[in-house]
Amino acid sequence: MNSKPKIPCIPINGVLSYADWLKGRRARRKSSQLVAPGINRRKRSSSDKRLKKLFKGERGLPFTPTEQL
Amino acid sequence: MDARKIKSTLSDIAAERDPTVKCLKLASLCSTLWGERGVELVVVGGSAIEILTEGAYTSGDLDMCHVKATTLPIRQRQEVMGLLGAKGGPRNWQVAGMFMDLLGPVESFARTPYRRVRGPYGEVLVMKPEDLLVERVLVSVYPQPDETARKCARLLAGVALRQELEMDWNEVRRIAGRPEYRNLSQCVELLKEVADELKTQNPLHPD
Repeated sequence: MNSKPKIPCIPINGVLSYADWLKGRRARRKSSQLVAPGINRRKRSSSDKRLKKLFKGERGLPFTPTEQL
Repeated sequence: MDARKIKSTLSDIAAERDPTVKCLKLASLCSTLWGERGVELVVVGGSAIEILTEGAYTSGDLDMCHVKATTLPIRQRQEVMGLLGAKGGPRNWQVAGMFMDLLGPVESFARTPYRRVRGPYGEVLVMKPEDLLVERVLVSVYPQPDETARKCARLLAGVALRQELEMDWNEVRRIAGRPEYRNLSQCVELLKEVADELKTQNPLHPD
């Protein structure tokens, strides 16, 4: 018997509810971390000037840790 | 959406500290307001990859395209974004503590539908992962090897192989074989690499 809890999948057809999208976040992050660990945000881009000005030297807000998703 | 609702929505988005949720919320609000004026928007690029994978990739900008060739006239764009207290324009705006870029008409080859997430302020269309995957594999190789693009392709492959994102692999194969891409062998190779790491089957395996 498969005891793995059902994680809402982002479907090809139909609409995923906001609650289900939120519910699937941790699983998606864990899968992502298996194949591309760490922070994968680009180090630089053509938008750096405006981003770093708005985000106090960073390129965006910090990511929520996996355990808090 | 009336002015009072827009105001409370904007307060919520401005206060949001999770970059992925903030991105989805802003996309939800913009999609609703532009949709009320007859233009369908779709989240593309890194923002779409983040919504689909939680790959810790997105930065502080939301990239959107319009689904059809026509968009709002410049004056109307500025008016609708003005309702949100946005600064700048007419193709990129600072709004609710982030940036929104409007990149023009969407470029898609997949026959699958846009993925749809019912955001808190209305439905959000998200770029098809089949297009995103094949495109990122291409960019990871041409014009120069690009490690970030390769990571993005791996994120999409990994989340799809773990069945948290439904991907039409026949469409991936078809798109990668199109003259616009011609990178099927590179897609197969990347999928094999990720599938082997996850100890699962490569859905693009020729057998």
